[in-house]
Amino acid sequence: MEKELVEFIAKSLVDDADNVVVNMIEGEKSTILELKVADDDIGKVIGKHGRIAKAVRTILSASANKTGKRFVLEILD
Amino acid sequence: MVKEFEGKTEREAIEKAAIELGLTQDQFDVEIIESEQHGFFFKRGNVKIRVHLDEVHGSKTFQVKKVIEPSGNIENKLISFLNKLIEYMGYPGEVKIGFREGEKLGLDISSSHSAILIGKKGKNLDALQMLVNVYASKIGGSDYSGKVIIDTENYRQRREENLVRLANKTAEQVCKSKSSKLLEPMNPFERRLVHMALNDMDEVMTKSEGEGLFKQVRIIYKGSNS
Repeated sequence: MEKELVEFIAKSLVDDADNVVVNMIEGEKSTILELKVADDDIGKVIGKHGRIAKAVRTILSASANKTGKRFVLEILD
Repeated sequence: MVKEFEGKTEREAIEKAAIELGLTQDQFDVEIIESEQHGFFFKRGNVKIRVHLDEVHGSKTFQVKKVIEPSGNIENKLISFLNKLIEYMGYPGEVKIGFREGEKLGLDISSSHSAILIGKKGKNLDALQMLVNVYASKIGGSDYSGKVIIDTENYRQRREENLVRLANKTAEQVCKSKSSKLLEPMNPFERRLVHMALNDMDEVMTKSEGEGLFKQVRIIYKGSNS
């Protein structure tokens, strides 16, 4: 579901797809998705002024809309 | 393009417009700005209409109707990327090429979830478009300079028409009240539409206010003598 969505987007955008890891931490009201990519690829998932990260979060919340749950995307470095 | 026509009845005015522009009546938008039909002498009534016409509009809709087959590796990859993306989101649909114009490639989603795919003021559609463009520049490499435009249910065209209409309506209010008005925050493309729509209106001028990607357009009254 949402975890696979973030994984798919990240793997499509980075050069080193093998080093994409998404951890899911489920809470009562919201679920945290931790995205880890190779050091050189961080810029590719964040983008200038965080534009890509923002787009991913927008898509994530649109996707989460159907379940009514909140998803938080954290990009780890 | 905006043109005004007059006729004794609404229908007559629209027919006049259609003949003059050489279009059928469903190819342009009509706004009735003055109707003096009701009243005592309604037989001598006069109806003024304003026709909103997008010059590319006609040719664009014709292009949408024919099926354009994807050609080349990149186009196929982009379509399958967008297909998978909306499927992972939980809103599966079908992606087709809507149009191809120079460097621009239009992808059209048909899905029963189009409302959520569009989002508030096209927020989700813009996010999808942004990701597909980032992906395009990644797989295309340095020699690819195309731009992808994603649409569903003609949302983009509808939004464009609404914005131009809103711009004209607000400009009219500004002319009447002689005080400026601020529009809602818009992205650069949408602001450009507003600026261009009001460019040839002498009584008002437009200015963008604010910081960042989403600025607001202010419509300012400057009088009719300039």
